[in-house]
Amino acid sequence: MRKYVEVTLGVLTAIGGFVDIGDLVANAAVGARFRWSLAWVVVVGVVGIVLFAEMSGRVATLTKRATFDVVRERLGPRFALGNLIASFFVTFLTLVAEIAGIALALQLASSVNYLLLLPTCGALVWVVIWRVQFERMERIFGLLGLALIVFAVAVWRLGPDWGDVIHQASHPAVPHGEGRPTYWYYAIALFGAAMTPYEVFFFSSGAVEEKWDRADLVTSRANVLVGFPLGGFLSLAIMSGTAIVLAPRGIGVDHLSQVALPVAATLGRLGLVVVIIGFFAATFGAALETGLSAGYTVAQYFGWPWGKGTKPVEAARFHGVVLLSILLAVAVGLTTVDPIKVTEYSIVFSAVALPLTYFPILVVANDPEFMGDQVNSRLTNALGSVFLVVIVVAAVAAIPLMLATKAGM
Amino acid sequence: MSAPAGRMLDAAFELLDRQIIDGDGNHAGKVDDLELTPLEDGSFVVTAILSGPGALGGRLGGRLGTAAASIFARLHPDEDPDPVRLSFGVVRELGPQVRLTTSRHHLDVNRFEHWVRDRFIARIPGAGHAPE
Repeated sequence: MRKYVEVTLGVLTAIGGFVDIGDLVANAAVGARFRWSLAWVVVVGVVGIVLFAEMSGRVATLTKRATFDVVRERLGPRFALGNLIASFFVTFLTLVAEIAGIALALQLASSVNYLLLLPTCGALVWVVIWRVQFERMERIFGLLGLALIVFAVAVWRLGPDWGDVIHQASHPAVPHGEGRPTYWYYAIALFGAAMTPYEVFFFSSGAVEEKWDRADLVTSRANVLVGFPLGGFLSLAIMSGTAIVLAPRGIGVDHLSQVALPVAATLGRLGLVVVIIGFFAATFGAALETGLSAGYTVAQYFGWPWGKGTKPVEAARFHGVVLLSILLAVAVGLTTVDPIKVTEYSIVFSAVALPLTYFPILVVANDPEFMGDQVNSRLTNALGSVFLVVIVVAAVAAIPLMLATKAGM
Repeated sequence: MSAPAGRMLDAAFELLDRQIIDGDGNHAGKVDDLELTPLEDGSFVVTAILSGPGALGGRLGGRLGTAAASIFARLHPDEDPDPVRLSFGVVRELGPQVRLTTSRHHLDVNRFEHWVRDRFIARIPGAGHAPE
């Protein structure tokens, strides 16, 4: 039973974390505009998040310290505070996008304007964090999120010319009519969507909270190595759907309904129902993770008591931060700011903030004083260093490219 | 740690910014600063751990640090409060985490936590039960 639960943790982090509103929007938008010419970024992103999550899970398991605890100690109070502000801002932006995503999914099902649904969605997210146990929360949204497999079914039914798909994916070229900066801007957005920092905050905090020990390291690795590639597979299916259905007709993605279009067009009403369930589970699961991560980062920086498993009165400030973040996120959503735009900005800023947490984790994962015999292997270090370069380049290039392309216009 | 005073360590690297864990195994703040007492020979000895915004403010420095320290001072019931001080008498172990012998509820470092708890969190239904 315990093993089963642990594997669901991986599946949840993959579906609710890997595929969240950011992946839904980014993959669909990229598929519709660039077809498969950016598919390679998804593969790079999966390898990156597998590396990052495995390292931070291992650090959390052996040192009993979650990511922001490590960040504070390694970077000192001043630098870590700047880091906290940046990471919190990105996590909060993602929370706004996820809660709006839940409301948009319910709008697809009910035709009620999402703005009317936003407060209820925010309240539901908070109630689940407040009252539902960690394991149960994981299981429910992990399993429901598997509904997104319907994208793969739709792509299979659409039956593209696989030779052509593989050729486009393996010979990436900037499509006719698109500028090089726009191509790279979307590459960074896609990368940021795959490697959102909150996934790691949540994963490492969960490991500490569930009191993982050495014996759990094997399961942890299995979770990451199976869970995240599964999420990446779904991302590619979403991308393929819009590449086949929307791209030839010149339709872009500026609403969640267009993400669902390939499934609705192929599998009809039933497909649409399943896809809406998948949207709901993925965004709701990610809203829980981002809401909790907002509390985790602040509490771990200041050394406050934190944890989802204990009585809320035992971690009052932590729960205070979570509650305030959700309330504020709903308020921001209600300003009628475009949820899809918020999503796009959140993933690009994710890429900007990523080195701030990646680098300290990479350093600690190599420190024998903390890690004993579980320091990074040569392979992990080689890959980890290559990714450090990739992550820094993406972070530095993101904002200039955003300005140059007017955020991908 | 029976006699931490007699131990040599790189305090800046092995003590500062570490997590404090209380006697019940709960988080109880960070080692935000250290109290140093000069010896006759001109060297210093670490005599206490300082924790909370009153201590953190000084280390943050700049306008932000001053603001943190002054907010702490204004909200504190005492006229001119010192940062929260944990003597080595309550320290059981120095390691990746600093472990204490007492419960955090006996420590001053929990003032803000208790305030948030009593004013807000404890008033919400279900706050006293772990999630099910």
